[in-house]
Amino acid sequence: MHHHTLMRLRSYSTPVLLSLALLALTVLAVGLGDKALGRAMAELLIRVTLVVGLWIFVGNSGVISFGHAGYMCIGAYMSAWLTLKPTMKALLLPGLPDWLAQAQWPVFPAAIAGGLLAAVVGLISGAAILRLSGIAASIATFAFLAIVNTVYSNWEDVTGATSSVVGLPRYVDAWVALAWAVAAIAVASLYANSGSGLALRATREDEVAAQSSGVNMYRHRLLSLVISTFFTGVAGALLGHYIGVLNPDSFYLGLTFIALAMLVVGGIGSLTGAVVGVVVLSAAIEALVRMEQGIEVGQTHLSIPNGAQEIVIGVAMIVILILRPSGLTKGREWALSGRLFQKRGQAKRA
Amino acid sequence: MTSLSQLFFDAASLGGIYALAALGIALIFGVMNLVNFAHGEYITFCVFALIVPSTDAAAHLFLGKAPAIVLVPVMLMIGGGLAVLSEALIFRRLRNATPVTMMIASFALGFVLQYALLAAYGGRPKAVSLWPGLNTPVELLGASVPLLQLLVIGVTVAILVILFLLLRHTRLGLEMRAAAENFTMARMLGVKANRVITGAFAISGALAAAVALILVTQTGVADVRMGGPVMLVAFIATVIGGMGSLPGAVAAGFLLGAASVMLQAFLPLDARPFRDAFLYSLVIGCLLLRPQGLFASASAKPRV
Amino acid sequence: MTKLAINDLTVRYGKLTALDDLSFAVEEGARVFISGPNGAGKSSLLKAIAGVAPTAHGRIEMDGDILNGASPESIARKGLSMVPEGREVFGQLTIEENLMIGTGIRRDRSAVAEDLWEIYNAFPILGERRHANAGALSGGQQQMLVIGRALMTNPKLMMIDEPSLGLAPKIVDQVYDTLLELQALKGLTLLIVEQSSARAARVGGRMILMRGGRIVGDGDAAELGAEDSLRDAYFGQSKPVKEAS
Repeated sequence: MHHHTLMRLRSYSTPVLLSLALLALTVLAVGLGDKALGRAMAELLIRVTLVVGLWIFVGNSGVISFGHAGYMCIGAYMSAWLTLKPTMKALLLPGLPDWLAQAQWPVFPAAIAGGLLAAVVGLISGAAILRLSGIAASIATFAFLAIVNTVYSNWEDVTGATSSVVGLPRYVDAWVALAWAVAAIAVASLYANSGSGLALRATREDEVAAQSSGVNMYRHRLLSLVISTFFTGVAGALLGHYIGVLNPDSFYLGLTFIALAMLVVGGIGSLTGAVVGVVVLSAAIEALVRMEQGIEVGQTHLSIPNGAQEIVIGVAMIVILILRPSGLTKGREWALSGRLFQKRGQAKRA
Repeated sequence: MTSLSQLFFDAASLGGIYALAALGIALIFGVMNLVNFAHGEYITFCVFALIVPSTDAAAHLFLGKAPAIVLVPVMLMIGGGLAVLSEALIFRRLRNATPVTMMIASFALGFVLQYALLAAYGGRPKAVSLWPGLNTPVELLGASVPLLQLLVIGVTVAILVILFLLLRHTRLGLEMRAAAENFTMARMLGVKANRVITGAFAISGALAAAVALILVTQTGVADVRMGGPVMLVAFIATVIGGMGSLPGAVAAGFLLGAASVMLQAFLPLDARPFRDAFLYSLVIGCLLLRPQGLFASASAKPRV
Repeated sequence: MTKLAINDLTVRYGKLTALDDLSFAVEEGARVFISGPNGAGKSSLLKAIAGVAPTAHGRIEMDGDILNGASPESIARKGLSMVPEGREVFGQLTIEENLMIGTGIRRDRSAVAEDLWEIYNAFPILGERRHANAGALSGGQQQMLVIGRALMTNPKLMMIDEPSLGLAPKIVDQVYDTLLELQALKGLTLLIVEQSSARAARVGGRMILMRGGRIVGDGDAAELGAEDSLRDAYFGQSKPVKEAS
């Protein structure tokens, strides 16, 4: 079998393997019957959608984005606007344009709309920001996050500002989240193996070299950002419809930090890393939350102070960056061995 | 409608704060290509160093009770010390890492610091009364200017002059300037990497302490989240100023201060809460036209 | 007296081997030219000695002090000075500041001042424009500046990578004339990477020929610089030479 085809098949095995693993986890979590576990699984899968979405841009371009929580916010509120009961909107969000205030869409198109709006904003913001060099662009994404947060926290008539928007239909369970997570993984893999994705990864190592060999870095970055923000927007919608309540502050620094932590711990360079990071850190967070709540040991109540969760995760991030900057997966993908694709007796061509 | 001189003093003093904060960022970036996202927390830490660790609503001054002549140098040393400590513990081990890795590490460090402060002091903003006398207004050029604003402007100018002298006329300053241009070559001429980097962090931390003192006197509040907004503006100033350019960072800091004050004064009332959004959008617009920054430094090496 | 001793030095950049088990020694006060085709490893050799290239294994000793593994600044402090390829002036600093940068390692203030005037004597153009930014100088002037800059560290061993690169022949003459004067004056040991073996032959000294990360010739510059040996080195008739140290 030709080496090229072999490599292609290998790389397409990654999303399949990852999806199957997540499916297995979901079946286990839901099958065990524990409601809390099912909910934890849903949250994990929503995070997978977010972090994989984030990876589509960050992992391929090498440019860190601090702004993705902003795109999440945009997607979340859009989906909310389309699915909330018109009577509720008239009361709480009088500033919405008529067609939006009257709208009551089914949840699936609403989620798509959320993703699309986020992608449009991604296109516009990216057009401005991505002309900057890597580090400067990252700082600009921080500014973008601040812009979104300021707007959504103050535009009372349209977003409810700092008071929460309630009443979102809570249709998101582990299976819905799984479906979206698998979709995100599939698209991420397709993009990463496309001409654009490969060209973009070439710029990761050396911006100057790649540009002088004719790679249109700007266009590829923009494309990856648009795809990335679509799924980030959807993840926002999923989060909103999972909790049922929206607030701009839940899409700000805390979320940015956690998403980046998951990406870094797993390994920024690979899609597998994104998924691994989510799974590992979600488990760690669950454990830490339990520890913050405390356990009963005999007569005493042991617990770690509130806020210790973030401190532990932050320290873990720093340690990983020092000792193993390419993350747990070392930037490699989980893929089937090439030999599985060979016919018996056929020598492997170098 | 506020008078022109009032606007001037507002702009100059706010710009001064931004300029000092931006300087702290630009210094470290110039020397080692590190965007220090923990800088905002250096500022917050210094603010909280003034008060006793507790979760009470009212703050009890601890260090803050000391007379200014003692307090100011001690604060500068605390700020410098925290920065130097973070360098020795964390950034030193990332010397050979990519700028992106260092940036994420500093972001994580900032988070750790913030949540450590949260654990020690609680999340509620506390009232802090430091040098309240400085808030008394002074009549100057037809404007009613709080004494503090004049002080900020004066202190900023003084610090800029001192820093300029330090960079131009001291051994450390010479080595820092050389290292900012070409670290490896400087080392091959005997310049000690650790000395230069520690020096840059110490100065950066001291600048953070100065900003902290100004902020707490001005707002009268200690809040674990207070370092963030200033830091964000400082970063943006560094980018607009042309990354790695010290004069650019200072100029951009003043520019952003002026723009912020202008927006606050001239935006229609309904739009005022969105002032920051306008400011940052203006900045992104600026960068669209001139991605290398308004005052890009002459060294043509791509500082990615 | 052996000034510099290299033993089994191997330098690798990832999978690429730049230096392969190199061994040779340099006497005090000697003038050694390192010549060879592109990619021979000449620059890597100098960089490894200066402490800015990754040494996979081997030993570099100067005056009995082990250099490999030490930081570039501590190597400089031991008396080694390097003028890298491409000159690398500090363009934003003045000429005088460039010259003074390396003097941080010296304690003798008055001797530093004397040395500065010596450099201005040797290179008058530098003295004339002491307070101008170094970035404004021409290529030849910058070459003089970086040689002067390296000399200001009061080195015992000086390494220069391609002093003639990008310079007009007449300028190169000037550079070498001054270099030789200063070497005689200060008793320096010189290690010079020189692309033009003809130039090296004219200046005179010892020549080490390198190819593919190995030494393929070691002898008098005037002899080796002649056509035949060079052709052999370039087109591969010579066998690698390992000199015991």
